[in-house]
Amino acid sequence: MMTGFARRLAGHLTRGLVMIWVVTTFTFVLIRLMPGDPVQVQIERNIAMGMPPDQAEAAAAVTYGFVPHGPMWKQYLEYMGGILRFDLGVSVESQGVPVADRVLGAMPWTVVLVLTGILVSFLIGVVLGVIAAIKRSTVVGHSLSIAGSLLHGVPPFVIGIILAALFTRQWRLFPSGGVYNADEVAPGLYFDFIGNVLYHAALPAAAYALATYGGWLLAMRSSVASVLGDDFLLAAELRGLTSLTRFRYLARNAILPLFTVLAISFGLVFGGSIFIERIFNYPGLGMLLFSSIGSRDYSMMSGAFLMITVAVIVANILADLLYSAIDPRVRRQA
Amino acid sequence: MTITMVKAPAVSISGLTVAYKTDAGELPAVSQVDLELAAGTITGLVGESGSGKSTLALSLLGAVQKPGRVTAGSVVVDGIGDMAKLAGEELRTVRGAKIGYVFQAAQNSLNPLKTVGKQLLDLGKAHKVRDLKGLLRHAKDLLDRMGLNADRVLDAYQHELSGGMRQRVGIMFALVLNAHVLVLDEPTTALDMITQANILQIVRDVHKEQGLTTLVVTHDVGVVAEVAHKIAVMYGGRIVEHGPVTQVLAEPRHPYTRGLIHAIPRLTGDISAAKALPGTPPTLGTIPKQGCVFRERCALRMEVCETVEPPAQRMLDGRTVACHAVKEGAA
Repeated sequence: MMTGFARRLAGHLTRGLVMIWVVTTFTFVLIRLMPGDPVQVQIERNIAMGMPPDQAEAAAAVTYGFVPHGPMWKQYLEYMGGILRFDLGVSVESQGVPVADRVLGAMPWTVVLVLTGILVSFLIGVVLGVIAAIKRSTVVGHSLSIAGSLLHGVPPFVIGIILAALFTRQWRLFPSGGVYNADEVAPGLYFDFIGNVLYHAALPAAAYALATYGGWLLAMRSSVASVLGDDFLLAAELRGLTSLTRFRYLARNAILPLFTVLAISFGLVFGGSIFIERIFNYPGLGMLLFSSIGSRDYSMMSGAFLMITVAVIVANILADLLYSAIDPRVRRQA
Repeated sequence: MTITMVKAPAVSISGLTVAYKTDAGELPAVSQVDLELAAGTITGLVGESGSGKSTLALSLLGAVQKPGRVTAGSVVVDGIGDMAKLAGEELRTVRGAKIGYVFQAAQNSLNPLKTVGKQLLDLGKAHKVRDLKGLLRHAKDLLDRMGLNADRVLDAYQHELSGGMRQRVGIMFALVLNAHVLVLDEPTTALDMITQANILQIVRDVHKEQGLTTLVVTHDVGVVAEVAHKIAVMYGGRIVEHGPVTQVLAEPRHPYTRGLIHAIPRLTGDISAAKALPGTPPTLGTIPKQGCVFRERCALRMEVCETVEPPAQRMLDGRTVACHAVKEGAA
C-alpha cells in the first residue's frame, strides 16, 4: 500500500518523464528546421578542399558523431537512445568535446548564480512587501510600492549593463567575468574558494535580484493585505494573543502562496539567466546556450535545452511537494 | 429564570458613541448608548445589518476597529474598569482571559495553518499560563461537555471542522481561560436548524455552569427568545427598546420592535399576517443627523420626531423605550 506522498511523487515523476520526452522531441525537430546547417557547411568545405562527396560526408559524420543525411527517424532514435545513456553527442563547435561534459560543467555556476540571485531577491522583496502592506497608507508604503513597480518594469539586462559599467569599469570593485580566479584559488570545498566564487557571482546575482525583487514585493504586499482582512487575525487580537504571535500568523499565511512561485522560478531562471550571464561574462548554462545558438551547435543546444527542461520540471515537482509539506489543507487531502 | 451567579461581573455601558472616519467626516455608528448587562444575565442584542450591534459588541473588548474610535462614553466591566480607556498590555491580557468573544461560524476565526491544539497553546503562552497541561485538560473538558471528540478536535485544522464544531471550538477558546464575560456574535448564523438548537443549548449550559454575563448579538429574534433574559433592540446606532425578553416580545412598545416581531411568520395562522417592515435600515451615511432615526419607516411619525431625538424613557415594567409616541406608563 503506497502512502499518499509516494503516490503523489510517482505521479509527478511519470508526468515529468513524459514532459521531458515531449520537449526533447520538439527541440530535436525544431533545431533541425533552423536555417543554416554547420554540417552542410563542413561537407561543402571538405568538397572544396578536393574530397569526393562520399568521403566529405563520412569525414563530417566522424566529426559530428552522427550521419547528417541519414533519415530523420534514424537520427531521432539515435538521439533518444543517447539521452537514455546521458550521451548528448559531441559539440559541433568545440569538436570532440562531449556535450554532457560541457552542460554539466556549466550547470553548477548557473546554480550558484541563480540560487543566490533568487534568494536575495525573494528575501528583500518579501521583507519590503510586508512593510509596504502594513504601512500601506503612509509615505513609506507608497514609496516602496512605487520603487517595486518601477524596478519591476526595467528589464534585467538594462540593470545588468548599468551595474557592470559602474562596478567593473568605473570603480573596479568586482571582477568583470569568470566564475573564480584560478590564479588565486584552486577548486575545493574551503572558505577561500567559496568566497571567491561568491565574489564572482555577486554582481550578476545582484543584477538579477535588483531586476526581480519588485515582483516579490508587489506579490507579498497584496498577499499580506488580503490576509490582514481575514477574520482569524481579529479573532487572535480578541483572544489577547501577543502582537508577535499575530505577526507570525500573518506572515506564515501571507508567504505561503509565494513559495510555489519561488520554487517554480528556480526552474525558469536556468533559461532566463542568459542575459545576465552574457553581460557579466559568466560561463554558466545561459552563456553556453547563447554561444551554441550563435554557432548553430545543434547538439549543444539540445543538451542545454534538455537541462533547462529538466530543471523546470524538477522545480515544479519540488514546488508541489513543498506546498503539500507546508500547507495542511493540501497535505491532509489524501 | 433564576439568576444566582456570584462570579459574574456586571457590564455597564453609558453614553457610548463610536464613530467611523469616512470621506464625509466622522460618522457615529453607535450613538449615546446606555446599556446595562446585569451580572449573570444573558442579553440579546437584536438589530438589522448596519444597526451598529457588532460595533457595540466589539467595544465591550475595547476592540473597535480602525477607522472607528470611541468618541464618548464608557464601557465599565466590574473588576476590570473602563474598556474604552484600557490600552496596551493591560487591554491585551484582559481580552481572552476576562472577556471572551465568539465569532460566527461562517467566519474563519482560526489560523488555517495551525491545529486547534497548537493555537490553544499560543493562547496559553500569550496569557502566561504556567500549567499548559492543565489548560489542555480544561479545553478537553469543555469540548467534551459540548459533545465533541476533544482529542480529534485539538488535532484538527480549521478546514476539517464543520460549522457547528467551529462554533463550539470558538466557545471553548473564549472560555478556556475562565473569562466571565462572553460575547457571541451571530452564534447561529450559517448553521442548520438542529445545530442551531444544539449551540443555543450549549450557550445556556455554559452560561449557567461557568457563571457568565453574556451578550448575544443576533439579527434573529427567535434566538433571543430562546436563550436571553433581556433583549436590547438596536436601530441606527441607538438602543430603541430594552427590557425583559418575555415582556418585550409579548408586548413590544417601540414601533420598530413591533415591526421586527410582526415580520416573523408564525407556524399557525395566516402566513400573510407576517408583514415586512417597509423601507430599508439606514447606513452610516444616511442616519439622520437630528430627530428620531426611525421616523422614515415609522407609522406613528409625529412632528416632534423630525427635530428631537426621543430620549430613553423608563416604563413601569422596568423596560426602557426611546419613542415620542410611547407615553403611557412612563415612570
